[in-house]
Amino acid sequence: MNRVFKALSDPTRRRVLQLLRERPMSAGELSEHFAVSKPTMSAHFSVLQEADLIEAEKSGRTIIYRLRMSVLEDALLGFAQTVGWDMKPDRASRLTRNSVAKRPLKGEA
Amino acid sequence: MTTRPISDYLAPALLALGASFAAGSWYLRPEGAVAWAAATATLFVFAVVWGCVTIVLRRSTNEARRRAADSIGSAIVFASLIMVVSLGVKLAVRLGAIDDPDLARRMSNVVAGAVLAFMGNALPKVLTPLSVLQCDGARVQAFQRFSGWTWVLTGLTYAVAWLVLPLGLAKPVSLLLLMSAMLIIVTGVVRLRWKRHREA
Repeated sequence: MNRVFKALSDPTRRRVLQLLRERPMSAGELSEHFAVSKPTMSAHFSVLQEADLIEAEKSGRTIIYRLRMSVLEDALLGFAQTVGWDMKPDRASRLTRNSVAKRPLKGEA
Repeated sequence: MTTRPISDYLAPALLALGASFAAGSWYLRPEGAVAWAAATATLFVFAVVWGCVTIVLRRSTNEARRRAADSIGSAIVFASLIMVVSLGVKLAVRLGAIDDPDLARRMSNVVAGAVLAFMGNALPKVLTPLSVLQCDGARVQAFQRFSGWTWVLTGLTYAVAWLVLPLGLAKPVSLLLLMSAMLIIVTGVVRLRWKRHREA
């Protein structure tokens, strides 16, 4: 459960989960929504996979990510989104913050 | 190193507890021998099934077989839990620890509701590989999430109904809840198949 809380504590990962609520998406499709580097996104995906919140499935040369959240985890995500809870940032979160600080978000440039 | 599922520890403990409760009740109330014998026989069947599953399926190298073993193990744990609660409360009533004779019925239904909620909670985690899905992945995912939420809310409401409502009212209300949930899920399945049929 600690891994789930850690995964949900970061706004980027929460956004990834929200996007995956709509439909399964490839790593590229997901990355398009964020102004961060691919390695940083990969780190976020790893954290989500470790927490068993998403599942990766290989389809040809692309990796498709899909949601693997229980109802309780889904409710926790909703709660985290509402209250915007933040915990001690991990490596992926720090990288995201640095990248966002350095690079403008898409559409802002 | 692989971790053993919790059912590996819980199932034998619950089965032993249930058997001891049945034996205690049999000793204290020998006139209900048929009921206690039936409970003991049911627990014995659970134990045999659990033993076979552990020996045959769990040791298999086939992932699908191991998953089947896990799900059978969980089902045995939940069924044993409902029986243990019911037998335990009956024994407590017989020993004079509890005054309310209807408590056993209430508690076993509360546990049944909790089991329903627990199983509904895990429903969206059961994924079929995208390559073998016959429908659009997004629709299947939405349906699974919807089913999960439906069963969790039904299970919790079912448990609360048996906990707070008078017994005469709890039964029809809980039945109505179950039937509504089933109707909602069946409608969802039919819609999913109909959309697939239209797209084909």
